[in-house]
Amino acid sequence: MRSELLKGLRMLDLADERGALCGKIFADMGAETIKIEPPAGCPTRRIPPFLEDRPGPDRGLAFLAWSAGKRSITLNLETADGRDLLRMLVQRADFVVESFPLDYLDSLGLGHEALAELNPGLIHATVTPFGDRGPGRNYKAADIVGWAAGGAMSLMGEEGKPPLQMSVPQAGLHAGAEAAVASMIAYYARAANGLGQHIVVDMQACVAWTLMNEQAMPLLHGDYLRRNGVFSGAVGGRRKTVYRCADGWVSFLIAGGPYLGSTNAAIAWMKEEGAAPEWLTREGGLKSLTPSGFMAATAADLEELERTEAIVQKFFLGKTKKEMWANILKRRLFGAPVADAADIAADPQLQARDYFVAVEHRGLGRALTMPGAFAKLSETPVGPQGPAPQLGEHNEEIYGGLLGLSAREIVELRAVGAI
Amino acid sequence: MGKLPFEGIRVLDFTWYAVGPVTTKYLADYGAEVVRIESAARPDGLRLAPPWKDAQPGVNRSQFFASFNTSKRGVTLDMSKPAAREIFLRMLPWADVVTESFTPKTLRNWSLDYARMRAVKPDLIMLSTCMQGQTGPHRDYPGFGNLMAALSGFYHVSGYSENEPCPPYGAYTDFIAPRFSACVLIAALDYRRRTGRGQYIDMAQYEASLHNLAPMLIDYFATGRVLGPEGNKSARYAPHGAYRCADEDGHERWVALAVADDREWAACASVLGAADRDGRFATMRARMGDRAALDEFVGAAVRGRGAEELTGALQQAGVAAYPVQNCMDLHRDENLDAFGFWRWLDHKEMGPSPYEGLAHRMSRTPGDLRRPAPALGEHNDEVFREILGMDADEVERLRRDQVIY
Repeated sequence: MRSELLKGLRMLDLADERGALCGKIFADMGAETIKIEPPAGCPTRRIPPFLEDRPGPDRGLAFLAWSAGKRSITLNLETADGRDLLRMLVQRADFVVESFPLDYLDSLGLGHEALAELNPGLIHATVTPFGDRGPGRNYKAADIVGWAAGGAMSLMGEEGKPPLQMSVPQAGLHAGAEAAVASMIAYYARAANGLGQHIVVDMQACVAWTLMNEQAMPLLHGDYLRRNGVFSGAVGGRRKTVYRCADGWVSFLIAGGPYLGSTNAAIAWMKEEGAAPEWLTREGGLKSLTPSGFMAATAADLEELERTEAIVQKFFLGKTKKEMWANILKRRLFGAPVADAADIAADPQLQARDYFVAVEHRGLGRALTMPGAFAKLSETPVGPQGPAPQLGEHNEEIYGGLLGLSAREIVELRAVGAI
Repeated sequence: MGKLPFEGIRVLDFTWYAVGPVTTKYLADYGAEVVRIESAARPDGLRLAPPWKDAQPGVNRSQFFASFNTSKRGVTLDMSKPAAREIFLRMLPWADVVTESFTPKTLRNWSLDYARMRAVKPDLIMLSTCMQGQTGPHRDYPGFGNLMAALSGFYHVSGYSENEPCPPYGAYTDFIAPRFSACVLIAALDYRRRTGRGQYIDMAQYEASLHNLAPMLIDYFATGRVLGPEGNKSARYAPHGAYRCADEDGHERWVALAVADDREWAACASVLGAADRDGRFATMRARMGDRAALDEFVGAAVRGRGAEELTGALQQAGVAAYPVQNCMDLHRDENLDAFGFWRWLDHKEMGPSPYEGLAHRMSRTPGDLRRPAPALGEHNDEVFREILGMDADEVERLRRDQVIY
């Protein structure tokens, strides 16, 4: 069942991994999202790793994840017939999302102005790595490069070792989701007078938006933050945020302010189990818990904090992730196990909310289980609308049905390499 | 300049910290009238968090708060008091949208659920966003986005190895969820416009954020493989990572680069001036076969180079590269500057400073940071008069009774 939320709207998705999440969010909300792929297939099909480590155009995990529920047609923009087909599709679409180099569509006569002439209501989002005006407007980007440019990489990793990205690249996802929000805003604006517009998304800026306003620190506090491994580096404080436990890691923070109750609850837990030294359990025993919780400025504070962290670390080493989580919930600690995929898959909370969904993939001969609804809407539920498409799976349906081409015309277009 | 898209849309906004405020900021920067309802009895935690103007704390001195609450007005109501809840219910018919981001028990304690509000405002759209959702055994789990980033798997894929975790910075998932919630909130407004029907949105930060790890989860369910931290290793690019360049003014600089194929590698090696003489790294297979040696090779060639100069040269040669920008570098970044990312606002107590602007730009109805964030209760007189017709005496009396507080 297609979600009613955006039912009747159509998005043409020509984006690579820098915009793939945009079309996915739209598909989940019920829009008909058509991936327009070159004859060799969208480059996102070739992103490793692959299902069961067996490469194939329909087996890339990133592709399976972020193309779920989209349709696929092949269309060769490098041919005149292909460009005509795109023009016909644009006349029947509400949205276009693409991530081509800036001048590419213009060079084909398919730049925004040309598309808007065909369809004044068209909302056209261009997802760029570095915007459209600076010296880097034509720069190439890989995800790690966007992660670096936006500042997130500088805050991840150990001092003295290379800055890091995550094993599941993130920069393009932020850019794609931003394109989705902006497209929704432009769509809401369209109702006033029927006019669409052009949106330029800047991936670097999207990543900079993940930094918790840390970028204001140099100006307001006179210095910038350095990456510091598992330590949170809020100015004036060096607080351990990840502790080892018996079978993995757990996130926990000793601090005052909003963390004060949690810190005291953890100390009480250690006391119950005879693991807290007397000085720590005395009233006001931990002096480094400043009221704000963020500024433990003195050397004595830091020394005390380190001593306390060592005691807590020793205590947590005797607990499994499961025990930690049970006590975090029971004692209302601000903590969380460093969960891996297996922990998440088994989480009773997600199960109680029927979060994961199995989606049948006929092409693979199996169902794949994937994240479900990203929000629960009372009137118009959203969620995955189907499997990722095979290359050109919907050629007949779209070219024949939507554009009304005859079977012979489709054969001819195929023969000249337009489809 | 045409009308802004959300002109005439009104939001009563109880959200705090990041996810909710960043969500409603999208509406506010595009013209909606967003009124933050706060209380001095329980201030938004971000008001108490740095960065502060001149590094001095104060409820109206946090740019962390100010950055996420541009273009909004602010009132104070101590909702733990029945009189405050009465005032809220009187304001409700004015609103199109109510948003909140407490743990679910808070609204239960106030006896204010969607059904009660809808009785007053039948086509109301309400967004509740919390860590784990409004139902289920862990619904009342309190926490911040840094904990959610651990719980939802991001910490586990961050680090040099299983024994060296290095989490992403801060409350990472706080900056995933708002883009999802803004999408459904705007779509719900559109649905109401088409059908006249409001609705209730239950948004779990957990469930939205897991979409950013979807390939890992599909893999696990299909094959049982558990992805862990892999440093900067990629199955797609080699070399792929960050390499230290020459220091500048006593600060370390690094360049991030990614080489997608053998042709790019030839171009990259030529820019690096490091002849791969015996063709040891000529093929992707060879480069992936000994990543440590490759990283050493690239690292040695990069060491004396300037990060910016090298970026220009690599990009010229068709190789994806950029300096690893720290929070100071971002303010001098030519591309962010040209995009117009930094926006200066003159805040009531903090004075002028640069704020993060929008990460996109629209050609016809551009949004912007329309006004600085409100001081706590800054618009009490104005908003209570405008919405409820309260006179100054009544506002003053309610202030004395700490209802407006």
